[in-house]
Amino acid sequence: VKWAQFSHLHIDFPKEVTKPAITVSDEPDTLYKRLSILVKAHDKAVLDSYEFFAVLAAKELGISIKVHEPPRKIERLTLLKSVHIFKKHRVQYEMRTLYRCLELERLTGCTANVYLEYIQRNLPEGVAMEVTKTQLQPLPEHIREPIWEKEVKDKEESKA
Amino acid sequence: ATERTPRNERQMRRKALPPRTEKMAVDQDWASVYPVAAPFKPSAVPLPVRMGYPVKKGVPLAKEGNLELLKIPNFLHLTPVAIKRHCEALKDFCTEWPAALDSDEKCEKHFPIEIDTADYISSGPSVRNPKARVVTLRVKLSSLNLDDHAKKKLIKLVGERYCKATDELTLRTDRCPLRRQNYDYAVYLLTVLFHESWKTEDWEKSKTRADMDEHVWENSSSEKNLLRTLGRIWATEEGTEASPGHLLGTEEAAQYRECVMHLKNQGEDDAALARYKDAVKRLLHVA
Repeated sequence: VKWAQFSHLHIDFPKEVTKPAITVSDEPDTLYKRLSILVKAHDKAVLDSYEFFAVLAAKELGISIKVHEPPRKIERLTLLKSVHIFKKHRVQYEMRTLYRCLELERLTGCTANVYLEYIQRNLPEGVAMEVTKTQLQPLPEHIREPIWEKEVKDKEESKA
Repeated sequence: ATERTPRNERQMRRKALPPRTEKMAVDQDWASVYPVAAPFKPSAVPLPVRMGYPVKKGVPLAKEGNLELLKIPNFLHLTPVAIKRHCEALKDFCTEWPAALDSDEKCEKHFPIEIDTADYISSGPSVRNPKARVVTLRVKLSSLNLDDHAKKKLIKLVGERYCKATDELTLRTDRCPLRRQNYDYAVYLLTVLFHESWKTEDWEKSKTRADMDEHVWENSSSEKNLLRTLGRIWATEEGTEASPGHLLGTEEAAQYRECVMHLKNQGEDDAALARYKDAVKRLLHVA
């Protein structure tokens, strides 16, 4: 049968599963002061289970975590029930969005990437997430001293 | 034939085997039954789960052929045992937070700049979210190398982006299409602001007393009044001319100066007025 697809991707498994290797590089790790994860869903039970999972994962990896529940938002809309006329008969729909906020303090870049990837791969269907990262950085070198004095010195040196 | 399933097919159909749950041991490894996120299989989950709205004098429906149990996302692959196993494997890729930065003040001292970025994950036709390219740079002005004139000029240049209560400058960049570009632009803005505030333009030298932000003591009418009054008192008592440095150098004069500066800059207050009264009395040796 020529039109059938003969790819066995869904059946064949790779014989040797190559585990990702731990690479060590010299460049300094980024530092995150705070990682704020807001999870939005339509169902409270799903959020509760996900929160349990995220908190346990953070505790196992040694990250301090705090959870709080922002109040839910309900978006309601009123539409006409019938296709034509009957203005007095309407139907109302609502969309409920429930929130859960997980706040992690003091993470390195590697730990943050590992944790976020683990959390995001196991995000259930129908749940959205917003991650806000606060990164710490030192003062860049060109903001240490104003350059006007150096320019004046350079001009004097070039003239002399 | 007019039957729903032809007779020979009915004969060839295999008998349904008993579900897998009957063969499961109580102490089995659950992580091997549900290693990844999978839909709910009633024949593979040994729990007597019921879900659904019951009819009158009825119970919720059983798990066999229950659509509600299929619709809701299940966490059967994320039992505490499975989570601990995953974390054990992931621990090798994590790094520790440096022990020297255990308090906020130390973080502030060594790393004064804070950069806020956001990532958005949702299910929809597109993975992209236009809000993800916003970068916010926050820095405390006390950690930058600025002198008095430079700080005032920077605050004037920046306008609303400076918060006086927390002494923090916030730059929110949105104009470039990529986050990396927005970050580079924010750092560039900070550099330009810093260097421009250290410059003194020619027209800044013609700043009059009316343009000043705070009351300046030198050459003010309060100073002149003080010198005139004290000079006259000195002249009548001693009979000689007094030098302004000598008159202003006394402790009472310094206290009077502080009280006047406080009243003019921070506004009038009962306590401040009482202090001013006290200072004036001491200056005129009336207390």
